[in-house]
Amino acid sequence: MEDNIYTPLNLNDIDDSIQEEIRTKCGIDVDLCLECGKCSGGCPNGHIFDYTPRKIVRLVKLGDKETLMTMDALWICLSCQLCLDRCPSGIDIPAILDYMREKACRGGVEASRPRVKLFHELLLSSIRERGRVSELDVVLKYNWKTGEYMKNARLGVKMLLKGKLNLSRSRVKETEEVRRLFEATIAKDLP
Amino acid sequence: MMNVAYFPGCSLHTVSSEYDKSTHLVCESLEVGLKEVEDWNCCGATAGHSMDHELTMGLNARNLAQASLMNIDPLVIPCPGCFNRLKNTNIRLKTFSSVVREEERSMKNPPQELPRVMNLLQFLIEVIGLERIAEPVKIPLKGLKLAAYYGCLTTRPRKVAEFDDPEQPVSMDRILNVLGAETVLWSHKAECCGGPFITSELSIALDLSRQVLETARHSGAEAIVVACPMCQLSLDSRQVVVGHDQVLQPRLPIIYFTQLIALAYGFPIRRTGLKSLFINPLTLLAKKGLA
Repeated sequence: MEDNIYTPLNLNDIDDSIQEEIRTKCGIDVDLCLECGKCSGGCPNGHIFDYTPRKIVRLVKLGDKETLMTMDALWICLSCQLCLDRCPSGIDIPAILDYMREKACRGGVEASRPRVKLFHELLLSSIRERGRVSELDVVLKYNWKTGEYMKNARLGVKMLLKGKLNLSRSRVKETEEVRRLFEATIAKDLP
Repeated sequence: MMNVAYFPGCSLHTVSSEYDKSTHLVCESLEVGLKEVEDWNCCGATAGHSMDHELTMGLNARNLAQASLMNIDPLVIPCPGCFNRLKNTNIRLKTFSSVVREEERSMKNPPQELPRVMNLLQFLIEVIGLERIAEPVKIPLKGLKLAAYYGCLTTRPRKVAEFDDPEQPVSMDRILNVLGAETVLWSHKAECCGGPFITSELSIALDLSRQVLETARHSGAEAIVVACPMCQLSLDSRQVVVGHDQVLQPRLPIIYFTQLIALAYGFPIRRTGLKSLFINPLTLLAKKGLA
């Protein structure tokens, strides 16, 4: 990655395959970016992103697939949709992040925040198993896998006392139908 | 009596059962029958769209198919997260017919006519209307100073939500006002609470919830009113766990807007689920002669 991603471009040198991919697969045209920076100004996590939303759009134009799949912003975006809503061109930046994250996962690229990824995976496997999420199961498995056995224990006890953890585990009747939806996906082989 | 299709989602069956309970009370008073979608599944939440767009589409196409079998319009969803995922899928299914066919193949009950998808706040404001919401009020919430908090997905992205103003939403303020309460003007009405990272990246979640809580307090609010299970849990639990509450004293109760409507309609406290919240709102309510 170049130090200054805003240096003028020699268009002939640029690999535009990722820009094309995002155009055709997501229906997003980053050429519409006016570089006004409203996306980054509003982003609640922008101050801790390694690449702000505006720079992410620039990375797409630069064809820098590798940075797009390894950057930390991929895993700490809140999907709050603020950047999309404030973009005068309506560029769906959260959808670009979803697309690149999925691509990174399919390509076996290591996540910069393995815990965020682990939490997503455990949630999905809870859905695959029952069709619905059991918070208790997800948090217990998360604590087990991260070795933080007592994390959120106090909160857990409070939730139990308030009747907020449903131990009866509501589930879908047609679980096979839900399981079939997982077959073609990366969530198929989850633990 | 009017019937609507109802999608509670996982949270309302577990961590936020008080939102479910109070929604039922409010709708009962407004003569709205909530018909729960048969055998609904999880919308996939943040994990779904973060990891696999086809899975998210599939899960919600199944939900919409289940809802369409009921032939009831609209489909009302209290959780903004579920609302966002289902409405997104609804728009896509209506726009791209090829996707419908692909999803249909894996389904026992393929989607019929797709219902309109509305979040609960939107349904109450746009279909029921403020005048009718005000009618059953028995105990006006006089003297309460509240911060109406909308979070992200109730109004964003505007192309999907098609509801209220995404920067300065007012719908919940209007409802609280007709109940007799005062609402404050504040800057963080539609900022993110950090909820998605409450387990996996706690420091990020805490930073964002602190900003919301502090600005609400500075604006003079005595409680924050929410319409989202994730906002409720992240703002409420943030204040009770040791080490997280250095900044804020006294604590701010985080109450579902439906609980306050039920209270104003005269339902007894025990039925509103107000006691299930971490920060007990009863002290505040008692001070105002409301409990």
